[in-house]
Amino acid sequence: MENKGFLFYLRIYRKILAQDIKSKMSYRADFIISTIGMVLTNVAGFISFWILFQNFSSINGWGYYEMLFLYGFSLVSITPVQCLFDNNWNLRILVREGDFIKYCFRPINLFFYFQSEIFDIKGLGQLAFGIGTIAYAWYRLALPVTVLAIVKLVVFLLSASLVMIALQNAAAATCFWLQNSFFILDFAFKLKDYSKYPITIFDPVFRFIFTFLLPIAFIAYYPSIVILRPDAIPLLSYLSPFVGIILFYLSYKFWMYGALKYDGTGS
Amino acid sequence: MEEAVIQIKNITKEFKVLNHREGVKGGLMDLFSRDYRIVRAVDDISMNVEQGEIVGYLGPNGAGKSTTIKMMAGVLEPTSGEILVNGVIPYKNRAGNSQHIGVVFGQRSQLWWALPLIESFKLLRDIYQIPKAEYEEMLSFYASIADMENLLHKPVRQMSLGQRTLSDILAAFLHNPKIVFLDEPTIGLDVSMKAKIRELILSLNEKKHTTVILTTHDMGDVDALCRRIVIIDHGKMLYDNDMDHLKGFFGSYRTLKIRVSGDVNGHLAEIQRQFPDMRTETEEGWITILVDEEKTGVMKVLNTIQESVKVRDVQIEEISTEDVIRKIYEGDMG
Amino acid sequence: MNLKKYTSLLRAGIMESLNYRLSALVLFFGNLVYIAIIYYLWRAIYASSPTDVVGGMTFTDTLIYVVLASSLFSFMEMYFVWDIGRSVQSGKIALDLIKPMAYRDYVFWSCAGTLFTNFFSVFLPTFIVIEIVTKGAIDFGMNLVWFIPSVIMGVVINYNIDFFVGSICLYTESIWGINMMKQVIVLLFSGATIPLAFFPDKLQSIAYHLPFQSIYNTPLSILLMHSPSVSQVLPMILLQLFWCVALTLFTSLFWFISIRQVTVNGG
Repeated sequence: MENKGFLFYLRIYRKILAQDIKSKMSYRADFIISTIGMVLTNVAGFISFWILFQNFSSINGWGYYEMLFLYGFSLVSITPVQCLFDNNWNLRILVREGDFIKYCFRPINLFFYFQSEIFDIKGLGQLAFGIGTIAYAWYRLALPVTVLAIVKLVVFLLSASLVMIALQNAAAATCFWLQNSFFILDFAFKLKDYSKYPITIFDPVFRFIFTFLLPIAFIAYYPSIVILRPDAIPLLSYLSPFVGIILFYLSYKFWMYGALKYDGTGS
Repeated sequence: MEEAVIQIKNITKEFKVLNHREGVKGGLMDLFSRDYRIVRAVDDISMNVEQGEIVGYLGPNGAGKSTTIKMMAGVLEPTSGEILVNGVIPYKNRAGNSQHIGVVFGQRSQLWWALPLIESFKLLRDIYQIPKAEYEEMLSFYASIADMENLLHKPVRQMSLGQRTLSDILAAFLHNPKIVFLDEPTIGLDVSMKAKIRELILSLNEKKHTTVILTTHDMGDVDALCRRIVIIDHGKMLYDNDMDHLKGFFGSYRTLKIRVSGDVNGHLAEIQRQFPDMRTETEEGWITILVDEEKTGVMKVLNTIQESVKVRDVQIEEISTEDVIRKIYEGDMG
Repeated sequence: MNLKKYTSLLRAGIMESLNYRLSALVLFFGNLVYIAIIYYLWRAIYASSPTDVVGGMTFTDTLIYVVLASSLFSFMEMYFVWDIGRSVQSGKIALDLIKPMAYRDYVFWSCAGTLFTNFFSVFLPTFIVIEIVTKGAIDFGMNLVWFIPSVIMGVVINYNIDFFVGSICLYTESIWGINMMKQVIVLLFSGATIPLAFFPDKLQSIAYHLPFQSIYNTPLSILLMHSPSVSQVLPMILLQLFWCVALTLFTSLFWFISIRQVTVNGG
């Protein structure tokens, strides 16, 4: 009973995922329209970025391709939260209507059970788009391609995505206390749009806030500087994997704390 | 005697509820100061349930039924009192407790919405770590009591309410739990589906000796399934005993039904004037009068009525479950 | 015409949003954070530019434009497309349709309460903050007078577009995808993300031929003018008026046809 380890959960997740994808494919129109929506979102994001650089050649000493790298980096690092933790968006409604109770009766981890219910396959398009952007920027910046660099990239992308996941978990979990937490979740999600800018453009107060309070600087800036500017890496960049893990853990605890005090009365 | 699977001793559950003020002005005031009151949803309830019992847990809306069930399921922690389910304290070991219970909450399906039922079953098999042989035995048992061919390959979202409820109940029993909580399982279903669901619950209970705690507003469920009933209202326990005992308790009551012609409501008013203590109601030309034989004989009532009202047809019945329960809600326990 | 039923819907909406006091606070402070982010971002962008005026806009112009665009967005965005979609899927739409008032009006006036409270909790504070930050760069003259009808028409145009998208939900289950496409297109072509003035010529002329720019770009351009003459403003206002009428007619017709389609086919 207590031996439900990592492998147990992995197996369950794999099975749910396979079933979920199968059933998504059977709603083909929905799948196609959603995919178009996702692609459009990315294209529009890129167009905005491009328009900006049609008018301005650099931002705070960061050139077009460096900014493009940051842009791609933030796209990739927000993909996991969209693919794997999308059910957070439904949490508010489930809690308000009293339907969240149905997750409370299974002998497995509540957080896992809840999040496993939805896998958002559309995010994969964004992943491809982001990887393409990173690769292109990498090539134009003539950064060396070494095994070490790739490993670094993957590790820092993963830790960056943990930060985004943590932010969203925490924001979604506020619905266990607040009646209408949509604005908090929406706010947290919008913050990600600003993760793609170098934190150096902000004044010290905001640098502090975005590093320690709403740590969006860890979504793209601190981790990607390791690859972009290897001569001047701030200490915080090296810390970002730990920051990611710690934040994720804290957000998980916060989420579970809210879920366990949930009484199922609906608001 | 074997230890009871559910042991509840003096549990109480209190909630803090916000008093909303009225109107736009009240809404503005709520912004700045909040006014709470304490509501006691469950008030000092004790009971033991043995393995294999089917207990009807009854009470009007808001009586505290769901709250009690949530405490037994480990979702809520009692404010005070002790509760043991399968020998463990549910809220302290929710996951462990869940392994041995099954829950069906009326119209809230716990199955994977988009998946065919069989896939949901497979996932549950993994989640509850049901041994292969046990799982297959259960499936073949299901096939013998329900029309599984039509259910298994249908996505839950495409099912009718009745099929969904059926599936949810089957899913709740799949891991062979010791206790299954059924919260209004027949709500919103048609008569034949209700009968099917009741049969299903009975055969599952018989086969697996599963304890079933059933909350319902449908007295048909109670008559078909429960030998013991527990009644609560305003969080307090009103009654806990056998169905037969309960009927015996009101054994001196008879339901007198008379059919009249003409102005039914006028006749009803006349009867109410003659017997102000008796509960009466009308339905399609029939007037029903609940008579306590210890006070007044049924024949005497009938004779009195016949003096002023032309009676076309008469039926005398034992008190119905519904009437019994209603008398208890009304505090007529003597 | 009986106004009572509309005003009581409005009243109910206001009361509902007052219930969510924390969300009001989050909305307010979130907005302040947002303003700060945008301020630093554009200051850094302009600092990196060799000229003070880019695409005909100074830093102050851009700041006012972008900040007010985002606050107009959060004040206009009613999210009711999701509600319509959910009503359609759950079949609740049938109940809404038998209400003794046209569904369009019902939806609009239900949302109007939120619109009303958001005006005071989001737009007005933002306006005041931005006026202070830019040391009174927005004139208090005819531009403000014209701004008000222009915003109201923006709301109507935005509502119509949303309602059109909501009607599409009667045909498809992919509310997410449809809504995403709408949001992306509206945000880009209305000037809500990047001022239309920065667009390359071709894109700009496309944008000016679409109704979306009437939502944000027109009111904001009017607001940024200094003592505008009637002949300057009138063509813009008339264009908005044209879109208001055209879209209202079109979406009413589309809704009428769609509803018939659905009721005939049994949805």
